[in-house]
Order: sequence, then structure tokens, then C-alpha cells
Amino acid sequence: MDGREAYLLSIGTALPGDPVDNAQLAKALGVSEEWIEVFIGTRTRHFARDFATGEVRWSLADLCAAAAERAVAAAGVDAASIDFVVMGTATPDALMPATVNMVADQLGLDQIPTYQLQSGCAGAVQALDLARTLVTSTGGTGLVIGGDVCSKHLDLRRDLTAAAPSELVNYVLFGDGAGAVLLGPEPTGEAVALRRVLNRVTGLGRKPGQVIEWFGMADRDSGKQAINEDYKAIEESVPAMAEEILWELLDELGWSADELDYLLPPQLSGTMTAKINSRLNLPGAVEVSCVADTGNNGNALPFLQTELLLKQMTSGQKALAVAVESSKWLKAGFALEKL
Amino acid sequence: MTAPIATPEDYVVLLRDATGLDLDLPALESDFDSLPGWDSLHLLKLVSALERATGQRIPVGRVLEARSLEQIRRVAVGA
Repeated sequence: MDGREAYLLSIGTALPGDPVDNAQLAKALGVSEEWIEVFIGTRTRHFARDFATGEVRWSLADLCAAAAERAVAAAGVDAASIDFVVMGTATPDALMPATVNMVADQLGLDQIPTYQLQSGCAGAVQALDLARTLVTSTGGTGLVIGGDVCSKHLDLRRDLTAAAPSELVNYVLFGDGAGAVLLGPEPTGEAVALRRVLNRVTGLGRKPGQVIEWFGMADRDSGKQAINEDYKAIEESVPAMAEEILWELLDELGWSADELDYLLPPQLSGTMTAKINSRLNLPGAVEVSCVADTGNNGNALPFLQTELLLKQMTSGQKALAVAVESSKWLKAGFALEKL
Repeated sequence: MTAPIATPEDYVVLLRDATGLDLDLPALESDFDSLPGWDSLHLLKLVSALERATGQRIPVGRVLEARSLEQIRRVAVGA
């Protein structure tokens, strides 16, 4: 160990188009608006495709590049000072080239290492984990990006009245978006230290809670359900896992629960996040959540939460983020402290 | 308008179509807690199907007070 730290220097996010409210979504899906409000508790979400025509207006690369440009501009640095890019997503634009390289192209970045992590809700944290290792081991400055375009699966031409509950639930949960931070070895800009990152698979022998298939020419007509969410397993496991992550991180950091100024809980849906937050039971910590307004946009969420956090965080304050990826049951989280 | 849920038999057909669950007439009076496999997503599918069948918004607040499928049917038909 050389004692180097990694610091969050700046942040940028991107949400596509106007927010789509529950009345619009309910009408398009042919489901009850009030049910979405009561059970999902998400008020609005953004989609990268036009909600009326289905036309794709932004690719994942577009959203990620927009978020990254904002982060770079906020730090007041130029492209030459970026030494690497790490990106996490569950919904790349193509399997090749990796979307991270299309983002690099849009940003005018070349001749640097790039990494793309195929990942769900824990992906942004995995990207932070890898970037932190790179910053502390090389002294370089890197872009960390997370984003998802879940609306790839939002086929409004389909009659969803026959959709299985495990498929339909996704349509009322998800949204699209992207976020990015610059991570570097010196406490400039926002000067928020990334004190610790937790990233661990815990699903040995366990059935995945969330599956997103991909199809090729040979199996595109298989009729297989493209997305499948075991929402009962998720409802049961995620709150308990979130609690374990919180206490494990606090213990490793040597922080007491009372010291925590902010908590960034897992962002499943407005209702689930409220339930988890009350279970985590940290009345002294301010909750920083976005899912009720942004929808569950996967790898963008920790960035959207962190952006909200940075608007209120003052010198000496501490924050802890908790994320759970229910695909193969990943535990994730990170700790921030503003200098 | 005569809703296609006027009789319990019609309602069972709609319920099976909407939820994919193997429900029968006795299930209509069962408490939700003793209805195998029942969850809030099935409730969404049912409420959405009832809204299509009746052409009216179903007040979810009243549906949530119901303890059985038959009680939900009564909410839907305004009985």
C-alpha cells in the first residue's frame, strides 16, 4: 500500500427527454395508474425512445457521453488529463464495439485504457471499485460512467395484457439515464474522498433474481421472455442484504451509525426504497434517493443519488451508499467523505 | 352496460385469463392470505383487466380493503 487515496472531483448526469408520468405509462401499458402509484411509488421516469412513436432518440453512448461531458466540464479539465475510462451497464448498445469505446469516441478520447463492466444495479459501484484501484495504483485520473437504456425492452406495440407478472413488473419499474464522475488522486474540485467500496457476489448456488436475455439470429424467434424479474425473491432478500451491507461497511470504515450524515439506499422503486430505508433505520442520516422521479435506471442510479448528495454535502460530512444487484445477488456499496 | 363479470363463472374466466393462476369458484371467497401464489402483481393484472372489462377506473384504495376476489368484483361492478 502506498497510502494513496481516490477523490471524486466532479459529477455529471443525463436523463433523456421529458419525464413520463404514471398516467402516460398506465395508458400505454393498459394497466391501472393508481396501482403504479400505490405499489411501485415511482412518479416519473425518462425514456431514450420517443414514448409516442417508439423511435430511438438517444443511444446509451449518447447519454453516457452527455453525462461524461458534464463531469469533465464541471472539473474544468480537458480530455488530455483523462487517463482511463471505466463504464458499467446492463444494456450496451451493441455487444461490439463495447459502448465505452463509442463514448470515448464521442468525447474525443483516444490512446487510453478503457473498460466496460457487464453489470446490473451494482455496476456503477464495480466501476468505482476498479477506478479507485487504478487511481490509487497509478496516480492517474479517470472517468467512471454508469448508464442504462432499459427502454430497449419497452415494446409499446405489444399487447401487454397477456404479459406475465414477472415481465410486466419491469415496465412499471424502469427508466433510462446515465451518470459519470471524474476520479483522481488529488482532492480538487468537489474534493470528496472515496473512502471504501464494497463489491461482492453472494449468489453461490442461488437462482438469479433478475435475468435479461440477449438474442442472436439463431434464437431471436425463440419466444423466450427477454426480461424476467423474480420480484418476490427480491422483495424478500434485498432489504436484508441492504442491512448487511450497511453494517459491514460501517464496521470496516470504523464509522458509527451516528456519524453518518447521509444514506443513499438501494433504488428499486419509490415504494421499495422507502421500505428499505425505514428498515435501515438511521434517523440521523438524511436519505438521498431519486428513483421516484427517475425510475430505476440501473447503473445511472448511484450517480444520480451522488449528484443530489453533492448539492447538500458540506466539509467533514460522511455518506454511505448501498446497492444490491439481484441478478446473481451482488452486494455493493461505497463511502464518501467531503474534505 | 352489462359487464362480462356479472356472474361468478364469467369472473373466474376473466381471473384465469388475467392472472394465469388456476383459480376456481371456491377461490372467489377465499381470503387472499390463503390463495396460493397470489401477490400484488396479480392484483395489478386483475384491476387492469376489470378496468378494460367495465370501461371504468377501479378505485385501488377500495380494492385494497377487499379480502377476497369476490369483494373485488363487487367493487368493480359498483355493488
